[in-house]
Amino acid sequence: MTNLDHSNWANRVADFFHSPSHFLLATSTDAFLADILHDIKNDKISEGTKVLLLSPLLEYPTLLCTSPHIAEQTASSLLDILIQTPHTPKTVNLKSHLMLSITSVLISTSCMKPGLGVAERLIEALIQTLQDTNDQKCGVFCRPMRAIASECLREFEVCYPGLLSQKLDILSSLRQHESSPLHQSFSLLYSVALKNAVRWLTLQNDIADRDLKDILVRSEGLAWSATENMLNLFPITTGDVIPVLPYSMEIRELKSVISLLLEESYLLTPVCQASLLRELTQVVAMVQSLSPTIFKSQLLRLFGTVEISLLHAMLQMKGTFTDSLFTAEDENFLLKRLVGMAQHPLLPVPHKLFYIDCILHFPENRPICSSGEENLPVLVTPQMTSLLFPTVFNESHTMLSRFNLLCLVYLEAGNEEDKGAGYMYEHLMALQAVVEHHSSREIAVTYFRSVYIFLYYFYQNEKYPGNLIQSLCQLYQKHCDFAPHFINLAECTQRTLDDSPWPTDLLQAVQILIVQLPQDQLIQSSLSWNLKMLSRIANESQVSQGSTVHFLLNLLLNSGLCTSGNWRMGNSVLTVCRNVLQHPSLDKIFIELADLLQFMMLRFEDLDIQDHARFYYTLLTNLSKDKLASILASGAGASRTKVRSLSSIMAESEELSSSLTVHSTRHPVLQLIKVSADDGSRRQLTDCGEPLEDIPDCDLFESYCDQFLHLSPVIILNYHLTFVGGVDPSFAKLFCIRLHFELTDGNYAPCSEITVPSLFQERKPHLITLTLKPIRPYPTVLKVCAVFTTEDGISWQTQLNPISVGFSEVFLSLPVPRQWPVHKKLQLFDQMWCFLSSEKSEESATSRFCFEADEQSLERMLDLHLSTFAISKNPEPETYKVLVFLPPKFHILLQIQRTEDAVCVSIVTDSWQLLPFINAYLQSITSSSGLDSSLSVLKL
Amino acid sequence: MSIRSLWVISEENRGSGVVLFSRRYPTVESRARRFGKEHYVSIPEDTAFVRSLLTELGLTDPEKPFVEARDSCDRMHKTSALELKLDQLRGDVLWPVLAIQHGKLILACLPLIEAPLKPRPSLPSLPSISQGFSLLAGLQAFLTGVKAEGDLTSRLGLLSNLLLHACPLGSPLETNLSQTVVPPASLPGTQKQPAWKPGIHKGRAQVAVAVSEQVRSMQYGNPSKPDTWDVFGAVSCKCDLEGVLPNVTVTLSLPPNGSPLQDIVVHHCVTSLDSSVLTASSVDESDSSAFSGPYKFPFSPPLEPFRLCCYTSQVPVPPILGSYQITEELGRLKVAVNLKLHESVKNGFEYCEVQLPFFNRGQLANVDLRVTTGQLEVTRERGLVVWMLGQKFPKSLEVSLTGSVNFNGVNVSGPQIGPMDFLCVGLTSYIKLNFRVPDITLSGCSVDQHSVQVYSSAKPKIVTSRELVSSDYYIWNSMADAPSSSGPVML
Repeated sequence: MTNLDHSNWANRVADFFHSPSHFLLATSTDAFLADILHDIKNDKISEGTKVLLLSPLLEYPTLLCTSPHIAEQTASSLLDILIQTPHTPKTVNLKSHLMLSITSVLISTSCMKPGLGVAERLIEALIQTLQDTNDQKCGVFCRPMRAIASECLREFEVCYPGLLSQKLDILSSLRQHESSPLHQSFSLLYSVALKNAVRWLTLQNDIADRDLKDILVRSEGLAWSATENMLNLFPITTGDVIPVLPYSMEIRELKSVISLLLEESYLLTPVCQASLLRELTQVVAMVQSLSPTIFKSQLLRLFGTVEISLLHAMLQMKGTFTDSLFTAEDENFLLKRLVGMAQHPLLPVPHKLFYIDCILHFPENRPICSSGEENLPVLVTPQMTSLLFPTVFNESHTMLSRFNLLCLVYLEAGNEEDKGAGYMYEHLMALQAVVEHHSSREIAVTYFRSVYIFLYYFYQNEKYPGNLIQSLCQLYQKHCDFAPHFINLAECTQRTLDDSPWPTDLLQAVQILIVQLPQDQLIQSSLSWNLKMLSRIANESQVSQGSTVHFLLNLLLNSGLCTSGNWRMGNSVLTVCRNVLQHPSLDKIFIELADLLQFMMLRFEDLDIQDHARFYYTLLTNLSKDKLASILASGAGASRTKVRSLSSIMAESEELSSSLTVHSTRHPVLQLIKVSADDGSRRQLTDCGEPLEDIPDCDLFESYCDQFLHLSPVIILNYHLTFVGGVDPSFAKLFCIRLHFELTDGNYAPCSEITVPSLFQERKPHLITLTLKPIRPYPTVLKVCAVFTTEDGISWQTQLNPISVGFSEVFLSLPVPRQWPVHKKLQLFDQMWCFLSSEKSEESATSRFCFEADEQSLERMLDLHLSTFAISKNPEPETYKVLVFLPPKFHILLQIQRTEDAVCVSIVTDSWQLLPFINAYLQSITSSSGLDSSLSVLKL
Repeated sequence: MSIRSLWVISEENRGSGVVLFSRRYPTVESRARRFGKEHYVSIPEDTAFVRSLLTELGLTDPEKPFVEARDSCDRMHKTSALELKLDQLRGDVLWPVLAIQHGKLILACLPLIEAPLKPRPSLPSLPSISQGFSLLAGLQAFLTGVKAEGDLTSRLGLLSNLLLHACPLGSPLETNLSQTVVPPASLPGTQKQPAWKPGIHKGRAQVAVAVSEQVRSMQYGNPSKPDTWDVFGAVSCKCDLEGVLPNVTVTLSLPPNGSPLQDIVVHHCVTSLDSSVLTASSVDESDSSAFSGPYKFPFSPPLEPFRLCCYTSQVPVPPILGSYQITEELGRLKVAVNLKLHESVKNGFEYCEVQLPFFNRGQLANVDLRVTTGQLEVTRERGLVVWMLGQKFPKSLEVSLTGSVNFNGVNVSGPQIGPMDFLCVGLTSYIKLNFRVPDITLSGCSVDQHSVQVYSSAKPKIVTSRELVSSDYYIWNSMADAPSSSGPVML
């Protein structure tokens, strides 16, 4: 039994983690959460399975607890289990998981508020667990659980800074008396609480000198204000202004506390030491009278460390305290150490790359500029970084990182700049030699990235950028399949190098290279790359295109390109032509281009290419240059529709794919608002009851029932489709909206999609008529989503709030001819009543509902809700008969009668499953009209 | 200083990946939401995350030669902190995702940024970055390290429980994951136990100290390309000593003509260091007055074997100097290798071999090679010849190999012996030396019985050892072009 439970749950949990959103679409969130909470309490489920059950709550509490209220309840249930479970070796794992789950739920669902009972009880329980110093009472097996309890408390304090600020005394004594390794968790907890307490103190208006001493010995309750005015979470040292306490404060006790913490920091793991140092740095920064030299003794120990987290902590201390703690020699030493570690053979590559980053963001004591950008420290010289020279033997990240650093070093080196640029260029050439022989994608990408870095720093150098163009041309000759890289390089350099002619020079050089290629060397694969290159070059207004057009014409005349009729090749040539058509110097090459296009339209052995060529030829020869430019220009923003309609002229680009996919909106855009029923007219169903015209009274009921064999009644609901508040202006105009409805149960037939042609924010909302065909007339919820197109041509998909169909919305008036006299309806009522009350019908049921009401309120209630369905009213005794029809073929018959003390409703229906809905409905209408309703539903 | 989420991913064929393990920390995520405000980007589900990660690592679309999102030249891949593009249109990016690749495994984590997101803060200003790197390094050691026990699946099974204790709510407490497996032994006494030493040793006292030095070299035999070599080493210890915080001091000494140890980095259990030990850096120009020992390391050891310190050193000569010549003659390759052992190096190898790979020519057909010492082993299919020199160089300390080989041109996948194989085209070629010499170090650094002082009542057994091992020891064909590092300064 337990094995089956475990494997069932294991599968369910695995499915959940594989894709939580898909899982929760298939299962209801509430049901899943309810299952988890139920089985957690079940004694028959093993501890291991229970731990498994908690994992969804541990990692995705916000998905499962959809409201703060549910979160509070969940946390409460789990806390009860935690408190009831005894401390035994077998339950330690479960208790640990419970603590973590409750903490996760409370913190991430933002349900913490002042005085929250479950939080108070949890923190109390956690502190109690911690107070078993040195595991004396519970035993050593409890220690992992105590560690987890401490971490939970620390997380509360970190997320709600100051929550534990009034408990520093307890936390301090826990730390001092614990000799097991658990003192580490206590030290961290204490240091965070201490820092936050000092932070809160800096925010007070009147600070007394002994306040600092006082907070250290305080032992009170939770500071709930931490959950309301959430203190800014940013570490103090990231801001420009550090909040400080006045110089006059008594700091003796604080100083001894911090000294003790620092002395024992050696006993902590490196990551915890780093955390501790970070918190204490902030405390010392805030207390001006406390000198940073308190850290000196630890620094001497840390200077030689191999641990990345400790070195990082030291650098951050340097950034905060600069020369109060680090002398100029220290700075020099640290920098050399960083450089040494950045190329140490025994350190892992990611750490070394990080150290190079640290060099570029080194916190100098006297920085020249203090922006966050990469900056070379003054002390870093070419000589110092000589060991960081990139080589072809480095892997790509290391090579790029070092190349970037060394370029910056030489750029800043002043008189050595030219020599340095030379060294960097040599490296580029060495790398190029490798690329020429071994063109793997990774090496090629690394090479082009290196070229980009080189140009970024040295583009103003006189010699090397020009040499680089020559070498790149050599590379292109051997590898024209690098055309995309060249195009990309040109584009990136154009973007970042202000107005440098280099990119254009490169493209021009490549153009010269291509057009001089002998015809026989142009095999098909290289030809397509060359044509791609030429089409990009044709976009450069500075580069004349005469040679290109000439080259193409020769190509078509002399090679077998036209006769082969390869569509791709033809399209590539046409792309070049299209770009040339937009070139400013079109006038000069008008005739050649016209010749080229004419040749293609006559001789190219592909109809599509011929057509396109003819089209371009016509455009060229008939339109003025301005008109041509405006037609071919792809246009900005608003004319994306033009882009799609002119797709035949569009050259292939990656933007097309973006406009072909459907994107999802991040927030809801649309909503459906129910239109209130004006009168019962909207509920009329079609084709009702003509055959019942001339039936004698006695057969009324039978023939009435017979009509349902061919009747298929539907409900019609009206909604307004409108925008939600605060929607993005890019969604102000929506087109081609298609609403899709998804049923959540099997009670209704699937409904078709509804199309709305357009919806504008400034215009009226659109009226939607939803037709539902019930199979069973139960309340239901429909999920709604919509697909629409915005003005820029992009298609979006969005989820709308689900619409609920209430029970009363399924009510329809009786399917009988409209002009039926009242007595006929009464007859029908009585006959139906007798039939259903008898035992003949198995599905029927009778019931009774009582409530208190006076005469006016009863009348009002009937008028408001049941007027359409009332059949008759008798004044004495006051009885009403109501007959409600529920599609497809169910009925509710009500006889409402006033007795001495209450109003009694006798209910008869032909489907006993409707009883709970009827009951709920009656309850709602009788309470909403201000009546006292008492529930006495009796099933007779 | 916390992590939002952690993943272990396996790279599958054709640019796809499978998540082997993942762990999210929702309390840290709630802080991320508060920090980020309108710039906050939530972490997508695992499958979407893997897709973006593999794209950023350049592993997707292996058949496409150029994809701008992946290969653009302005996408700087200078650190291991990646920016993942989640949604092209909305411009959502996830940053900084730290990722380490180890074979087919990718370990990734997303640290919390505790600073305003715009303008983007630099990595060194974020304390969580180093925590993330430490955690990933610990994860890598646990899953793939030399000391890892069992196979990957079983270790992944343990991971959930280990992380429960090492990083329960996103702030790492311990990055040495195998440590957390040790169960608490007994109730503690009055002295505070270190968090990195959760247990106490009982039994015989023993201290083992081993110095392992590695030497690497690039030799060209070309006057315009100077040869380079350098040495780096690590001192590993295993101490079985009773007591909560036993004190040990290990002293490394250098002989009078020894090369100073530089760039010394130490384990966190070292209690203090003389500043003169730390000032020697390879960054400085070589200085005859540099501190050259003895190097004292006082520490209190953890339970498991650990690396006490690492160093580098610049030695005057490489242990083996050699030359390699290949020329092509009438369809055969004429090969000549000469190796000379320096007299300062002990002539007593555990093994010494030379690998001669032949690239891009196909299978070896006729191998006509003679050696003055040792034996040859030929793997025709792989185009590889291995020359096993045995335990000793001859009295002259020189050995040589001469002869010629030819090929039958059948395509093979290539010898694949080193990461630089792709550099070998035409006659550009190298030979690789693998050797191990016990009981010596090139820098002269040594440790012996008397250099280990243990402050305890029991007299422990002290075991010391040292060795010199080759690593990346290459000699290039001097008759052809060879790739070399450019730049102004050579070692």
